[in-house]
Amino acid sequence: MSLPSDAEVIGRSLDEPEAFGLIYDRHAATVLRFLGRRVGAEVAEGLVGELFRIAFERRKMFDASRTSALPWLYGIGSNLLLKHRRGEARRLRASARMAAAGEAADKRAGAGALDARLLFPRVADAIEALPDGEREALLLFAWEDLSYQSVAEALELPIGTVRSRLNRARAQLRELLEPGGENRVRSR
Amino acid sequence: MKPVDLARKLRRDAAFEPAALDRGKAVLMAAIRREAEPKRRPTIVPQVPYQDIRAALSFLERAFGFREIPTARFVSADGELLHATVEFGNSLIGVGGQGHHGAISPMSGGVESQFISVQVDDVDAHYQRAVAAGARIVDELRDHSWGERTYWALDLEGHRWRFGQPIREVPQSGRRRRPSEH
Repeated sequence: MSLPSDAEVIGRSLDEPEAFGLIYDRHAATVLRFLGRRVGAEVAEGLVGELFRIAFERRKMFDASRTSALPWLYGIGSNLLLKHRRGEARRLRASARMAAAGEAADKRAGAGALDARLLFPRVADAIEALPDGEREALLLFAWEDLSYQSVAEALELPIGTVRSRLNRARAQLRELLEPGGENRVRSR
Repeated sequence: MKPVDLARKLRRDAAFEPAALDRGKAVLMAAIRREAEPKRRPTIVPQVPYQDIRAALSFLERAFGFREIPTARFVSADGELLHATVEFGNSLIGVGGQGHHGAISPMSGGVESQFISVQVDDVDAHYQRAVAAGARIVDELRDHSWGERTYWALDLEGHRWRFGQPIREVPQSGRRRRPSEH
């Protein structure tokens, strides 16, 4: 016997609200890690309950043709994160410093170490400078390993729009990798 | 390195407490319980008679924001709407016809022997809505010394309604009476 799909569980929760608890048990850990990468453990722990409460209250709107609720939950999370942009930016800059330090240690102070120390903060700046919609598409794709289709479901966009947003985000980052490109990217 | 890999280099997992998911689950389960609990129904339900129940229901929704509970309709065998129930906040009001119970609409009787007082969250917005829907204002929106902002309106058949909201800043004339004495 196979387990009921998320769509079936959410369908059942319309009459039996307690059934929605199973959606939490299935996905809360994944969603918490997603929030944690973006805003750190403390804020994420506060947000995860809020996210599922919103999902529960909107469960009538869940598109039952989707079997997994996860992209939908990511989408609700993306919206919640918009209110935490400052914390996100802070964490991203800290991550850039740590990535730069890690890279420098690996290469034992060669010429590349200097590059990494300069490069990663600029990557952080470039990600920060993206419009919200492009940054969200990029981070869902790059950090959460969502497919184009799942990103489209999360952000409620046509897949073609996701593709073009990701292409624009890629173009911004590519400039950092090209010779002399570092100077062309705005640093804020 | 590909551009996306560059972004991936900045991905950093947060370190969570072992019980990190418990608080979130509690928030969700509280929301679930709130919905699953049967709503407490008020003990007293005013019954308000109208000549035209359907017109009244439409007006009460448009003007005052009272929502009909569709499952509470009472319809005769030949399809006549005999009684309906509207809800607002934690309260219910019965909307019925005239007749067997002896109560009549002011439109038929010419007097209003009672009024219904309703507390709202935003009395200014409520007032605007009522005016837009054609409610007759019989006492303008204003602040009172006991710390309330109210207006009075007549509905489409002349029933008298009072809408109020507590206000924090009491006008200069002082606080002489408490709302319960009004």
